[in-house]
Amino acid sequence: MARYGMVIDETKCVGCYACRVACQNQNHLRENEAYNYLEEREFGQFPHFNREFLPIQCQHCDNPPCVSVCPTGASHKRKDGVVLVNEKDCIGCKYCIAACPYNVRIIKQEGYIEKCRFCIDFVEEGGKPACVTTCMTGVRMFGDLDDPTSAIAQFIARNGHHLRVLKREMNTKPRILYRKA
Amino acid sequence: MQTKPLKISRRSFLQGSAVTAGALSMGLLDFQSWAKESAQTPVTRIPTICGGCGNRCAIFAFVKNGRIWKVEGNPEANGNQGVLCPKGHGYIHDLYNPNRIRSPLKRVNGSFQAISWEQAYKEIAQKINLILLDNGPESIFWVNYPQSNQAYALRLMHSMGSPHYFTHGSTCFTARNAAWNFTVGKLPSNDLANSRFIMIVGRNPAGGIDLAQVKDIVKAKEKGAKVVVVDPRHNETAILADEWLPVKPGTDLALLLAMINVMVEEKLYDKAFVANNTVGFAQLEDEIINYPPQWAEKICDIPAETIIRLTREMAHEKPHALIHRGYHGAIGAQYLNSFQTARALAIANALLGNINRKGGIYFPESAELGELQPAHPAPAGPAGPKADGTGIPGRYPLGSYGDGISHAIPELALRGVLKCGFVYHHNPLRTNPNPKRVIAGYKKLDLLVVIDPVLSETASIAHYVLPGTFYLEANEAVDTKHYGKRAQVTIPQKVVEPLFDSRSGFQIIVDLASNLGIGKYFNFTLDQANELRLKPLGVTLKDLKARGILPVGQTWKEGFGKLGTPSGKVELASSALENLGYPAIPRWEAPLVSPDDKDPHSFRLIHGKQAIHTHAMTANQPYLMAISRRYDMIRLLINRKRAEKIGLKDGDVAEIKSLVGEGKIRVKLTEGLHPSCVWLPSGYGIFSKYLTTAYDQGLSYNDFLPTLFDPTVGHAMSSEVIVQVKKA
Ligand code: SF4
Ligand code: SF4
Ligand code: SF4
Repeated sequence: MARYGMVIDETKCVGCYACRVACQNQNHLRENEAYNYLEEREFGQFPHFNREFLPIQCQHCDNPPCVSVCPTGASHKRKDGVVLVNEKDCIGCKYCIAACPYNVRIIKQEGYIEKCRFCIDFVEEGGKPACVTTCMTGVRMFGDLDDPTSAIAQFIARNGHHLRVLKREMNTKPRILYRKA
Repeated sequence: MQTKPLKISRRSFLQGSAVTAGALSMGLLDFQSWAKESAQTPVTRIPTICGGCGNRCAIFAFVKNGRIWKVEGNPEANGNQGVLCPKGHGYIHDLYNPNRIRSPLKRVNGSFQAISWEQAYKEIAQKINLILLDNGPESIFWVNYPQSNQAYALRLMHSMGSPHYFTHGSTCFTARNAAWNFTVGKLPSNDLANSRFIMIVGRNPAGGIDLAQVKDIVKAKEKGAKVVVVDPRHNETAILADEWLPVKPGTDLALLLAMINVMVEEKLYDKAFVANNTVGFAQLEDEIINYPPQWAEKICDIPAETIIRLTREMAHEKPHALIHRGYHGAIGAQYLNSFQTARALAIANALLGNINRKGGIYFPESAELGELQPAHPAPAGPAGPKADGTGIPGRYPLGSYGDGISHAIPELALRGVLKCGFVYHHNPLRTNPNPKRVIAGYKKLDLLVVIDPVLSETASIAHYVLPGTFYLEANEAVDTKHYGKRAQVTIPQKVVEPLFDSRSGFQIIVDLASNLGIGKYFNFTLDQANELRLKPLGVTLKDLKARGILPVGQTWKEGFGKLGTPSGKVELASSALENLGYPAIPRWEAPLVSPDDKDPHSFRLIHGKQAIHTHAMTANQPYLMAISRRYDMIRLLINRKRAEKIGLKDGDVAEIKSLVGEGKIRVKLTEGLHPSCVWLPSGYGIFSKYLTTAYDQGLSYNDFLPTLFDPTVGHAMSSEVIVQVKKA
């Protein structure tokens, strides 16, 4: 069984938002519903200045607080590592939104909670997540962390000292790893 | 800056929409149930091209239940290499935009009435025939933003005997093109992926999207290339760069002259290349002495030692080093000195010996489409020159005759030279400088026909509006936009049936011709025309339709051949320019206007693109506008220290004022902008009330620009404007 994960290269995002809209289309979202977002940061003073965009989405944590607080089991973690919400079981109590430290869950107009699904239906048909394939700078890498021949596993092996996770102190064990700036 | 838009009478809209009630329920109203049902439905995938901007990326469009679902980039395409930008994904939803018009419209007593195509054509033809009798064919014009049907639009004008086919070029790139033409004979490309040192001046492919260029920059960086971005604003490409040089706007020429100075003084240039393949080096040596880096530093605010260091680093990597060929910023249509800046940029490249070299500036392979004749004889060309003076000594001898000076159309209309116009895939009322003047000019026309799926600013003052299809609804002419190491042809294809009573651009051109009695020049179907155009390329229409894009011709090889310049070599000094009364060698030329250093409220107004918008075309798309709002992007950028001096805090509303316009907008304070300017994102400031998402959101730089024509090519000099900025 695959164990899916992602690497996001913080040095490469130019803030174009293609990943946002590609994801919205892939997942039939409305214009104000988005599974990913960007945080822009500025550094330094003119003329010694730089900035960066940090793409953020569900981190598909191995220790997901959203799952442990969910009273119905709608939020769940699959064996392949993907954290999902089962819309039929979701009662819209929003406990998961409060528990998630990454601010990635949205309330659908229909009333249930959703978030990045790692495009898992599409991936199971052989596709790749829409946010991965649309990106002109190749910010995201997606694949099977357990398959040592996968590009993502090899990248992680080569770049161990450059990697970090968001909010490590929360002990959520994210399965999205960031390549540091 | 607003005009009072015309009213659409409700009755005429209802009439118009009755025809298409079926399409409506499928497309417009029902995203929710469509989305729900769609999870398990079969999907069709059709190759076509994107209409989100002029790049015309090759895409696959996916259709579920008769509605467009999503698009993906075609990995074979030179121009986008499998990826897509946010507009590519977001603009597809405009197909279902409720603001679309549903039938041809005629303006009657200040409001629009729905009419049939037949009535529209008949009335337009009658009016044109009267105009032809009174004023001759030269009084008729066509203007469009580049698109794949342009050969047929040109043919339509020529069939009528008019020279007046225009593109938007004079507000965009004509100085750049002219400078490259005079230096190396034509406009080249950049071999970014193989370059070791990339300097980009006034161009931002990560914001004014060029997907392949960004991919290639990333590839070059992975191989260890250095990237330097020169821009008054820390643009999005600068995020990928090793160094950002915040040049004082309007002074890029000083920087480039100083870099040439260092190359010449320190003998860093490619001596063999200069000796064998250029003319005028001795003259260049004489002139360039005047521009040492210490001189440039005082003008352009880039330290002399930075200029020297980077010139050395760049020369060290020659010929696998380049200065990006440029686009709109700095050298396209911005400053009085843009033409000379572009000349200096081309010359600096030539000194690196990089012309048509791997990792340098190269001449891409581009598909040469076949002719329609002899099967379909072409009309005789127009008798006279263009009224805008392009190509005429004493007027705009360097101007592009092919593009014309389209922002002169309002002036020509006000003078009575132009009487009748067609506007297709273009919205000059919003994208040309000085809208009051543009509105006055276009309103002066005896007949204005606009082809557009929505009531843009321009459409809303037209006499007739013809609902052109949205790009995913129509088969159109084969296209050669994807040039590169190997040429490619593409084809725009119908992905879904047209909503409403709309017709393709190609069809409208053919229909107009037949109603005007010049149908003999258009006695072919689209397929027949496309087949003839593809014939010399050795590919079939059938294959192209199946694949969407096909490579044609040979693969590019590096090497220097005879150029299209008078000498056949790179013209460092141009006697052709000298003969026309321009300097043979670029000289320093100050911008036309500069902000007052002593006035804390005085700024130059510059502009640029955000990746999510194309000109004025996408602001009405809710998926894209949602990003503008969520990330608070409809703001004026201002240097933090300058803002604080005039009491502006982040998010405050500021009042901006120029000679011709004024407006209010919220500000964003940043350290990433040269203090002498403010920066306005382009694409906002929509004032057509019929565009309900975009209406009255933000401002356009055009609101503040006077109508200007530079003395070389007649471009709009769109950053030669000083504004007063105050807390509102
Ligand atoms: S598509 Fe890539 S570059 Fe664009 S915003 Fe997303 S991660 Fe950043
Ligand atoms: S993995 Fe799929 S669902 Fe998650 S952000 Fe990317 S495109 Fe959206
Ligand atoms: S750059 Fe974007 S909008 Fe332009 S053609 Fe490509 S995908 Fe479409």
